[in-house]
Amino acid sequence: MRLDGWLFMIISWSAILALFFYSLIRTLRSKDSNKSEQ
Amino acid sequence: MTRERWGSKLGVILAVAGSAVGLGNFLVFPTQAAKNGGGAFMIPYFVALFLLGLPLMWIEWTIGRFGGGFGHSTAPGMFHTLWNKNKFIKYFGVIGIFGPMVIFIYYIYVESWLLGYSFFALLGKYNACKTEASMTAFLQGYQGTVQNQFFTSIGPSYFFFLVTFLLNILVVYFGISKGIEKVCKYGLPVLFLFAVVLVVRVLSLGSPDPAKPENNILNGLGFLWNPDWSALRSAKVWLAAAGQIFFTLSCGIGVILTYASYLTKKDDVALSGLTAAATNEVAEVLLGGSIVIPAAFAFFGLAGVTKIAQGGAFNLGFVTMPLILQKLTFGNVFGFLWFMLLFLAGLTSSISLAQPAIAFLEDEFNFSKRKASLVFGTVTFVLTQPVIFLLARGIVDELHFWGGTFCLVLFATVETILFGWVFGMEKAWTEMHVGSDITIPRIYRFIIKYVTPAFLLFILGFWFWQEWTPVILLKKVPAENVPYIVGIRLMLVGLFVVLTFLVWHRWQNKKVRSS
Repeated sequence: MRLDGWLFMIISWSAILALFFYSLIRTLRSKDSNKSEQ
Repeated sequence: MTRERWGSKLGVILAVAGSAVGLGNFLVFPTQAAKNGGGAFMIPYFVALFLLGLPLMWIEWTIGRFGGGFGHSTAPGMFHTLWNKNKFIKYFGVIGIFGPMVIFIYYIYVESWLLGYSFFALLGKYNACKTEASMTAFLQGYQGTVQNQFFTSIGPSYFFFLVTFLLNILVVYFGISKGIEKVCKYGLPVLFLFAVVLVVRVLSLGSPDPAKPENNILNGLGFLWNPDWSALRSAKVWLAAAGQIFFTLSCGIGVILTYASYLTKKDDVALSGLTAAATNEVAEVLLGGSIVIPAAFAFFGLAGVTKIAQGGAFNLGFVTMPLILQKLTFGNVFGFLWFMLLFLAGLTSSISLAQPAIAFLEDEFNFSKRKASLVFGTVTFVLTQPVIFLLARGIVDELHFWGGTFCLVLFATVETILFGWVFGMEKAWTEMHVGSDITIPRIYRFIIKYVTPAFLLFILGFWFWQEWTPVILLKKVPAENVPYIVGIRLMLVGLFVVLTFLVWHRWQNKKVRSS
């Protein structure tokens, strides 16, 4: 794999993981993330 | 009748993510990326994610919750409410029930192959197939398109179809929180676990053939990620990326509308939509991109993987991967993990495809869950039979084109214009932020109103320009298959007419009652 290939992979993975963990942590912190609403 | 609700916020996110994570994440994305510029493909892919995917996610979550507030779980009622009771718009909404049904009737059969192959992997039933030709013969025998030494009838395939079909109907029969939510809450984490195990195994393959050290995992990752900058000058690459984002997020089907309709007015949609999209992206780019292409490169080299990538997703999943996995120690177990992971991805998607039609019968005709599931099950069971018995006639491709491609883009275009222009951006923006846990960047007011519809109209226009004539005139269909494809088209027209009549009938009744 070339250096630019590594760069693309790392940047893409980092961007997606950052988005995923940001949204997941915010979701888990919100008050009704796991409780029943009924 | 008391409206069903999701049991938890995480439950609905996992259900939407489960609907989005499907076979395409593991089979289509890596081949699209490899064919369209490698790492450079990720530039149009991310552009499409932020200009098309995320806006559509937010639009559908918001319309769904809004419509649910008026007792509608499907597009006809939602569009009718959104456009101030316009007479005609509800008929566009029929696509939001028709599209998922069409996808369901072929998807369920493909999904059943995965269940069958999971057992075959564990039992080592295809271990005698050591070449691509023999593995293809095994698949064709199983599908019943030929009789050979592996299968003499379609019986085993039909058995697994029946099991898969009944399982799907049973899940939707149990309802939103006790059926769909439970399956997704357990199914999706198991799917991720299986995928992680496979990724770790594939990335630790190194160079399987010491005589060919260049065939290794790092070069396999390079095949997928080394950027080919010239690809960015091709409109087709940009369209392929937009299409991939579109299909991978389950936008434009009508499924997210229905799922979001079971939220309450104070439930967040902005963060939930973002989380569901991000979960799908992890499954697609991190996991899906790290299994099939790198593994195929390590075993078959550059020439082999190029041919495999051109061969399409089915070949990759049912022929290439079992060939590769059976070469590993504990190959039967890894084969089982591969097919079971795809089966779970398929199951969490197919149950979402069933829900709009069932919800339509429940909401608009006051059917009980049992009656709605029974009617849906009977109709789709009958419609699936041509898919099973006429598979070799190109039926799946035809259904996929209308249900899984054309309807999606058309439906998304209509709902985006309806949301940003007819409902109005001011009201739409306020509605998106009711109960919201995050503030959507203001730039999205502009994107949702102008960029996303323009993007969708461009895709739709390009499709009409490139595909309309050859598709309508059946120019790509072999002559011997034409009568079958015409028959399937008549079947689709019939289904659409019946659904349109049901919508018309329902609103006529409402009119009579209100007057």
